[in-house]
Amino acid sequence: MSVFLLTGCYEDFNPEIDTKPVLCLNSLITAGEPIEVEVTHTWMFNDEKSKMNHDVKDAVVTIFANERIVDSDYLPKEGDKIRIVAESPTYGMAIAEVVVPYATPIGKVKVFPVVTDIWKGDKDLFHYEMLADVTFNLNIEMDVNDPEGTDNYYHFGYNWSGRATDGSPTLSIGQFEYNSEPIFKEHIGVFETVMGNDEDTNFVFFSDRQFSGRTYTLHLNFSNNVFRVKSQEYDESWLECGVNLYLTTVSKSYYSWAVYKWNVDEGITGDLSDIGLAESKWGYSNVTTGAGVVAAQSSAKYTIELKEFLKTTLNNK
Amino acid sequence: MKQFVLSIMLCVSAVCMAQNITIRAVDQPASVVFRSIVEQTGKNFVYSSELLKDMRVSVNVKNKSLKHTLSMIFKDSDIEYEIKGRNIILKRKPKPKRQERKPSITIVAPTLPKQNAVEPEMLEEVVVVSRLEAPAVETAEIGAKKLTAQEIINTPVMFGESDVIKALQMQPGVSEGQEGMAGMHVHGGNSDENLYMLDNVPLYQVNHFAGLFSAFNAEAIRYIDFFKSSIPAKYDGRLSSYLDVRTKNGSMEGHHGSFRLGLTSGAFNIDGPIGKKTTYSVALRRSWFDVLSIPMLALVNSSDEEEKIRLRYAFMDLNAKVTHRFSNKATGFASVYFGNDILKTGSSDKHEPECGWCYDDKNDFHWGNLVAQTGLNYRLNPLMSAEFTAAYTRYFSGMKRDWLTTEITNDGTTESHSISKTNNNINDWIFRADFDWRPNDGNRVRFGGNYILHSFLPARTDRNYTVGTTQTLTRDSTWSYTANEANIYIEDDWQISEKFRMNAGLHLSLFNIDGKTNYGFGPRLSFSYRPSDNWAVKAAYARTNQYVHQLSQTYLSLPTDQWVPITGRFKPQNADKISIGAYWQSDNKVFAASAEGYWKVMRNLVDYRDEYYLQPPTEMWNAQLCSGKGTAKGIDFKIEKLYGKLTGHISYSLAWSDRTFPDKNEGLTFPTRFDNRHTINILLNWNVSDKVSLNAAWTGHSGNRFTLLPQVWESPGFGNSYIGDESPLKTQVNNYQLPFYHRLDFSCTVRNKRGYWTLGLYNAYCHMNTVAIRRTYNNANHPVFQKVKLLPIIPSISYTWQF
Repeated sequence: MSVFLLTGCYEDFNPEIDTKPVLCLNSLITAGEPIEVEVTHTWMFNDEKSKMNHDVKDAVVTIFANERIVDSDYLPKEGDKIRIVAESPTYGMAIAEVVVPYATPIGKVKVFPVVTDIWKGDKDLFHYEMLADVTFNLNIEMDVNDPEGTDNYYHFGYNWSGRATDGSPTLSIGQFEYNSEPIFKEHIGVFETVMGNDEDTNFVFFSDRQFSGRTYTLHLNFSNNVFRVKSQEYDESWLECGVNLYLTTVSKSYYSWAVYKWNVDEGITGDLSDIGLAESKWGYSNVTTGAGVVAAQSSAKYTIELKEFLKTTLNNK
Repeated sequence: MKQFVLSIMLCVSAVCMAQNITIRAVDQPASVVFRSIVEQTGKNFVYSSELLKDMRVSVNVKNKSLKHTLSMIFKDSDIEYEIKGRNIILKRKPKPKRQERKPSITIVAPTLPKQNAVEPEMLEEVVVVSRLEAPAVETAEIGAKKLTAQEIINTPVMFGESDVIKALQMQPGVSEGQEGMAGMHVHGGNSDENLYMLDNVPLYQVNHFAGLFSAFNAEAIRYIDFFKSSIPAKYDGRLSSYLDVRTKNGSMEGHHGSFRLGLTSGAFNIDGPIGKKTTYSVALRRSWFDVLSIPMLALVNSSDEEEKIRLRYAFMDLNAKVTHRFSNKATGFASVYFGNDILKTGSSDKHEPECGWCYDDKNDFHWGNLVAQTGLNYRLNPLMSAEFTAAYTRYFSGMKRDWLTTEITNDGTTESHSISKTNNNINDWIFRADFDWRPNDGNRVRFGGNYILHSFLPARTDRNYTVGTTQTLTRDSTWSYTANEANIYIEDDWQISEKFRMNAGLHLSLFNIDGKTNYGFGPRLSFSYRPSDNWAVKAAYARTNQYVHQLSQTYLSLPTDQWVPITGRFKPQNADKISIGAYWQSDNKVFAASAEGYWKVMRNLVDYRDEYYLQPPTEMWNAQLCSGKGTAKGIDFKIEKLYGKLTGHISYSLAWSDRTFPDKNEGLTFPTRFDNRHTINILLNWNVSDKVSLNAAWTGHSGNRFTLLPQVWESPGFGNSYIGDESPLKTQVNNYQLPFYHRLDFSCTVRNKRGYWTLGLYNAYCHMNTVAIRRTYNNANHPVFQKVKLLPIIPSISYTWQF
């Protein structure tokens, strides 16, 4: 490929090809939250005017929940079949349908914290001194109890909490080791693997194809996490911090969209398509016009409390 | 009577030294025998067309000198010969006394004794020869072509690297596919629908360097038989075409060889005798890319103390053959072919040891073929010969990525080590027997069978990830397949009368895999009507079957391409093809013309389905595939000049090719990527003098089809997309035709006493052809469509030293 890129050249041109703009629908429906739909239209790629403004003013949007028209303040529930119909005199009609998935409760969670570095100051020191600085790794095993009878798609997410009395954060999660959980790479093929496209990726979607109706244990490793408190009088409330794990069940359309994006942005065939050495890839869509993604999700949350671990660690020092 | 002096000037550029001849012909037209001599010696025949009218020749020589061969041919005739430089001049012997001339000249050659009167020592030695020796008007086949090594060498190509497949790309009905690549799409077929046989054994990987070069070393080739329309019953296993590549035997008369040094590769070949009954032949070719890249890499790496780039690419192929003559009846051979590509890439960044982060990234790829075979050519009786072959072939591709990162802090070192290995192998054990029986003058029956034990391992990846003391090991669920394949065939080439000729045959096959047995039925029929010596009209039908196919996500030939068998819900592919043709040759056989029409239906074709990449690889590999059908039709015209100082051909093809898959393009029929409506090829070889020859090849065709995605839509602001992202809108597959493609390649051969120089120009007038359309942003950040053009003018030079 390098050889071609070295010798190749490009020439701007305007292809003579008939196009007709169509409606585009984008929406991420979350159980318990109002439905928002973004209605736009497609445009010729080199049409800068449409690129700047592709809003649709004359579209009428109708939302169906379980085959009944609902108001805009309707809060979708898990299991709802949502259909969005948009019609515009200018751009025609677009329809998309999605089922709000049931959240899959997080099963057993085992946490294995490992301290890699620790420094604890003396509480009698001047207040501007650092009082605690703990670097640790968190190795977590989280069970996903996949329900039987349906194809399920998941997204893993996390955040953390913990603040000192002055409001400054005490906990900082370092690096999430994507490589330690092979299922995050189930979408990566041989070609991408050998070309190194499986490195430096932060893809966290996966499916139940390999454990349908069974339990799968996710291996979640967070390294170089730091618990640090400065310029504070010792207070046990500092230690009240934790890591939130989210297991979001997503619709197939959401998962497919994510896989598509990974392929064009991080996969090797996206690059090859650009120079005509692989098939072109169009954007994934579950809208009848081929433009837009209507997705749905439901989340389950699990919080790992770190107070006891930190307390023990600091007391043992 | 006005004399027309015919000058046969084939094989002019390279092989000008004296060579020995092996030829066996029984009652063949003299022109056919002479053509074989021309190919083997590089000499030209000069004679009166009247002299050889209706002359038929029988001769049987093995590794004999030219003089000896000619003496055998003309010993009982009234023709004498004289060898003058590069020419063999034929003329009638002076008549001692005036006598009435016969209307035609007949060489009284050794006639075959009756079968029951044969003494063993009188049996003719069996020598494998091309089945396409005779001109097209004299055979029943349609769309068949014999290529000699010299014709391959005379076709100018990129980097001056003589290439079998690129020579065939000049034939009508053959599309090159991706520009510059040694791809072959025959009559609307896919690139994996061509069977490449090396001395009767199939090869899977036929390319080097992502397809820039084919795996066949032209120096090792004796001839190639290429069939694209009427397929002889011997061949099956692919839908579109068959390439029977035969390698050279060694000479009995002495050690000869050559050494070629080119810009991209070097080649060495030598052959000669080992004792009185054994010969050897070795041809080795190796690329120089890795040698050339050493100084460039050193320069790049010297500019950065810490970051080093690693890059090495090389390909090589080796053909080695030993032939032993056990007796007049039996000749055995053992041969090895080994072709291999190696690519090593990577980089490393080594910071000072006391602090920082460093990495070491190594990627190793290797892929290729190994063929080891032994065979026996045996003459059972004067009318029947046999070829027995036992072979082992191995296609392999291995890829390894080793990624090590080290973080060094004051408190210690943390290592993260990721290794992934992927292997894709095919191992075949092949046993075959082929018989050639001539029960009488009008019939030639070929029959035989083979058994192949296949073992397929589609790509299987092992991943090993270690961070600190935590290790994760995974292995794909891919498993290997064992398959049994058996084939039998019979065909009869029957000269029904002077005007009618027929080749009828049947190929039966079975392919057993996963406890399921698939059967293939392959009737073949071709028929020729020859109203006069100059004309022939032919019609043919062929059904072909295919049990393995190649999966490739790109248009390049890469080690990640997989050959996989038909399993699960997929059925064996098959194709029905009907062809008709009209052929003409001039009285002196210097000019020939043909028009061949075809109509082909292909069933159970396999392709990637729409959005196949949404199916993760952990699914069975065939989850990404779909099955459908295709049609192809067209007509190929060709005008050739076969002999003289200027030879070559002009061809024009008018073609249509489409596909229909229920799970692709919403079930709608779409044109294939290489649905080139009009294709013109011009190939000229001009022997300016004994020392200089010029070769030119011009090709022009309607642009390839391309899936252009002109419209975009705003991506949703969730998941792994970015705000302001755009996504292309789905369209029909291959909805856009790229601009007309045209290119001139040129080469010049200049000979001296020791060898010859070859100078080449690929894309001589530097017309950068469009291979794709891309969406991008220009320097002013405006969205634009751009034509992607890859290959400019590429000069080449090589020298071949002969000894």
